[in-house]
Amino acid sequence: MDCARFESIVHEIERPGTEGFALRESAFEHAESCDCCARLLMETESLDAGLRAVMAAASAQEAPPRVETELLAEMRRQKAALVQRRVRRQVAALSTAAVALLAAGLSLHYWKGSGGGSNRPAPPAENPVQAHGAAATGTPNVIDVDDSAYASSFRALPYADDPSALEDGAVVRVEMPRAALASFGLPVAAMESDGTVRADLIVSADGTPEAIRLVPRNGASSE
Amino acid sequence: MTQTTDLRDVLLLRRIADGDEDAFAEVYRQKHPAIYRFALHMAGNTAVAEDVTQEVFMALIRDPKRFDPARGTLGGFLFGVARNHLRKRWEQDRRLVAMDGEADEWHEGGSANGHGHIGVSGNGANGSGNGHGMPAQSPGWDEFARAETVGRVRQAVGTLPENYREVVVLCELEEMSYDEAASALDCPVGTVRSRLHRARAMLVEKLREPRAARRASAVGEGTAR
Repeated sequence: MDCARFESIVHEIERPGTEGFALRESAFEHAESCDCCARLLMETESLDAGLRAVMAAASAQEAPPRVETELLAEMRRQKAALVQRRVRRQVAALSTAAVALLAAGLSLHYWKGSGGGSNRPAPPAENPVQAHGAAATGTPNVIDVDDSAYASSFRALPYADDPSALEDGAVVRVEMPRAALASFGLPVAAMESDGTVRADLIVSADGTPEAIRLVPRNGASSE
Repeated sequence: MTQTTDLRDVLLLRRIADGDEDAFAEVYRQKHPAIYRFALHMAGNTAVAEDVTQEVFMALIRDPKRFDPARGTLGGFLFGVARNHLRKRWEQDRRLVAMDGEADEWHEGGSANGHGHIGVSGNGANGSGNGHGMPAQSPGWDEFARAETVGRVRQAVGTLPENYREVVVLCELEEMSYDEAASALDCPVGTVRSRLHRARAMLVEKLREPRAARRASAVGEGTAR
């Protein structure tokens, strides 16, 4: 080993797992024959002793207890905030779910009222559709059309988009809940909200109701 | 940098994320002394060391998910956070940097302050000598000599450039392996090794100077007589 090599490893002589540690014996041998390297070895040993003394002097050092107290207080604040955030998140999720359910319910209600859901199983009709041989829409209960009951003109439904249906569409007489009239844009609040009403619907070729008129039970139209 | 993370630390951190106070207290009590000492050796000031320790663990409370077990140990992560806080402080307040040569309670040896500081100056014998630059032998001499050594070495470490000081603190004073230090410093193992070699050479040089000065002073006093 030469002096340059000695100098490159001398600071690792006491560190296990290093090259210097592996070569320490030959380093010591070299130091015995070289005053300069012997002095360097002595100085590094002195440095190691000094560092160990500093380490020992500092070994009991730690932050004062108030630091831990403050950190634990912060931890409690964070925990409270975390709980609050969770509660808020749950409330928000429940509110969203409630709003979604309400919207779905209303949509279903209007969809049913507007004659959608043709695949819905219709209750067994006591009297099948009579007029013009058109198919029933399947939403309201279908009843017989009685010509004497025609008392007023038809009123186009808000979403009606097939004017030709008024000329060529099928007329079906139905009995349906009063509340369902709202879905046809009729002033349901002005009427009794319970019970059923009888109405004639003009249905287009695809089965969509296009116009309505109410038929009083005594045979006279209310509209 | 292939440190394996203690599974226990990962579990403790999960509990901390769920607001478990006991888990935090356990991590704090286990890890804070090393962080505090690191900050103290680096800053040379107990107030800064306390602040940095508090900030490190505050960061852990506020965002425990910042620690990525795949990147190293929790200890290494905390040292890294401490290092960043120290750098921020130095940027904000340059006068705290020991390199500037200003008075520095810890690296100067300091005085007893209730935190275990040794009340002896690091600059040599203070009146307890025999007038020849050598202190008289007394029952307390060993302790005095040890305190002087501690003071001198601390001061020498404190005047090292920051990059060198941190490897000395981690590898020598906290007894970390090269791998652990590299993980904490976020640099290659080879860099740690070369910096430590250079830092130790600088320390030898710095510790040689006062010794030579004292020797010269003693010779000067002898010839004056």
